[in-house]
Amino acid sequence: MRREGSAFAGLGVVTLKELSDHMTGMRMIVMEWLVVLLALGVVYTGIQQIRQVSAEDPFLFLRLFTRAGEGLPSFVSVLSFLVPLVAIGIGFDLVSSERSQRTLSRILSQPIYRDALLFGKYLGGLITIIIMLVALWLLVIGLGILTLGLPPGPEEVARALAMLVVTIVYAGVWLGLALLFSIVFRSPATAAFVALGLWLFFTVLWPLLAPYAAAPFVSETVQTPGDLLTQISVLQAFARVSPGSLFGEIVGVLLDPTVRSTQQPLLASLGLVLLQPGSIPGAPLPLVQSLLVVWPQIVAMIAGAILLFVIGYVTFQRQEVRA
Amino acid sequence: MRYRFIAALVAFAALLAPIARAEDAPKDVKGIYLMSDYPAVTVRPGETSTVNLKLQNYALAPERLTLSVADVPSGWTATLMGGGQPIAAAMPATNSSVSLELRLDVPKNATVGTQTLTIKAAGGTTTVQLPIAITLAKDLPAKLTLTPQLPELRGNSKSSFEFQLGIKNDSGKKLTVSLSAQTPQYFDASFTEGYGSQELNAVPVDPGQTKNVKLKVTPPNTAAAGSYKVEARVGAEDAVATADLTMDITGQPRLDISGREGLVSAHASAGKETSIPVVITNTGTAAAENVELTGSAPSGWKVTFDPKTIDRIAPNANKEVQALITPTEKAIAGDYMTTIRASARGESANTTFRVTVTTSTMWGIAGIGIIGIALLVMVGAVARFGRR
Repeated sequence: MRREGSAFAGLGVVTLKELSDHMTGMRMIVMEWLVVLLALGVVYTGIQQIRQVSAEDPFLFLRLFTRAGEGLPSFVSVLSFLVPLVAIGIGFDLVSSERSQRTLSRILSQPIYRDALLFGKYLGGLITIIIMLVALWLLVIGLGILTLGLPPGPEEVARALAMLVVTIVYAGVWLGLALLFSIVFRSPATAAFVALGLWLFFTVLWPLLAPYAAAPFVSETVQTPGDLLTQISVLQAFARVSPGSLFGEIVGVLLDPTVRSTQQPLLASLGLVLLQPGSIPGAPLPLVQSLLVVWPQIVAMIAGAILLFVIGYVTFQRQEVRA
Repeated sequence: MRYRFIAALVAFAALLAPIARAEDAPKDVKGIYLMSDYPAVTVRPGETSTVNLKLQNYALAPERLTLSVADVPSGWTATLMGGGQPIAAAMPATNSSVSLELRLDVPKNATVGTQTLTIKAAGGTTTVQLPIAITLAKDLPAKLTLTPQLPELRGNSKSSFEFQLGIKNDSGKKLTVSLSAQTPQYFDASFTEGYGSQELNAVPVDPGQTKNVKLKVTPPNTAAAGSYKVEARVGAEDAVATADLTMDITGQPRLDISGREGLVSAHASAGKETSIPVVITNTGTAAAENVELTGSAPSGWKVTFDPKTIDRIAPNANKEVQALITPTEKAIAGDYMTTIRASARGESANTTFRVTVTTSTMWGIAGIGIIGIALLVMVGAVARFGRR
């Protein structure tokens, strides 16, 4: 039966209900504490490092996010690791739990469309993550001001905000994926297992496998700097299949104004420096230019999040709910 | 046969010998002579003076000659010196001479007048005498002359002017001559010896001798074109000599490049021509003609100027040109150095401009388009699959 009227009737009700469920749920509390404590630990050790080494750095505050402490990864890499986990934790049973509790048909008998139900569930989950990320972001900034004893500049705040938005989009991708699995698989356990498996694959296995997958497309002999750059861009193209590496590339450029290309960190790990003839190395880029450098990656993540949701939406609309 | 050959050889040598000797010994001069270049001299009381003497032997066998000085006024001390020490006898070889010095210590209170001293050289066969007239003068005036070799020099305000000066001491004693120069304000003058680099304030000049010194005058960079007078002045005791020298300074253009209002930074987009106003100022003292502009930028960049050359910039005037800079299409966003150079015959200046390259936002718009398509797909899905 065709829907009549707005697809979003009842969207607010569903969103608010989902939000309150998440906020009061035990699972959410455990996850938030896990993330917040780990992030704070990482930032604290990062600050200890910053206070020892960098005395004069015009973008000292941004180092809070990117500097790794002793034995601990940086704040950004912890985020790229844990944000998918939180998104999967929230999203893996969004639809399938309604189904297993047999409440789905009861909800849909109310004047709420399926569209609004799915939008509401997605939005509720995303808002939960946003609240968590904003609180975390403010905590990091506050802790930074407290321990470093200096306020961040407007440019730094703008860059940190851009990083926050990108992190939210990154969470949106994984939430869309988890929602899709919760629609496709009837059992929440299966959905959780598949989503976590995919997450493990992308975070642990793919970085190891990508060079082998790229091997047929890479020439063996590297003679000129141009060859090396071509090789690196092919490897990057394969690595970008993983949303985690996309996220890493984006924040790597956004949080360091001196980075002019996404290949720069990779070259640096090889002990090489990207030198443009005649350019002044180390001169910071304006934020808009940094954004333009990683704009394709940002677009890919936003579009990916929307498409994952659309696939889930179409699947859900075609499903039978009365059983 | 053999003896005849030797005899011929001896005869030849006998013929040659007088010719060889003829140079230092005139044929008809023979004997011992006591000589002096100047047998009558003027000295000052209270000072030590020396008179150069020579004992010459022409064509005589060497002989020991006892030397003595007679008629020495009371209070005076006359010593004959040879080889730096007092001597009492000399022995010149045949056809050679012995140099002697008569050292005179004249007391301060000696009466003014002429005294005649007699130097005697007495040997077994010959005795020679030489009277030397010593005139006492209270004050022998010092006299100096100063002769510039090239009194008028020409150059620009960056060059230094070197005048060669000859200082002649026309008095009977060694003088320590002090050197000075009167120059226009802020001109720098220094004296050096011939080819030396050590600056001098004074030079000793032997009596009757000429000493060459160099006066180096450096005008200030800001000196305007024109003719400047420099007076070189030398003095010793109460003698003074001056020489008027002229420096003819021709003007020199000096270029200076900056952006409009002193700004040397600019923004440019990758692959797009940007025009940067460049102001060329002539801060020199002469007009700069035919100023050519060039620019060097990272490879792949294009730098041209509109206009390419400036015909003339008057002193203290400026001209503005447009530098048209096109960063390469593939330039990565960031700051780059571009050097702009202006050159007019012999004078050049350069300034480095910092060009901030921004990349085109066209691909950003394309990205927004892709996101728009994704949203359209969602709207389409909602419209197509929406159901109760």
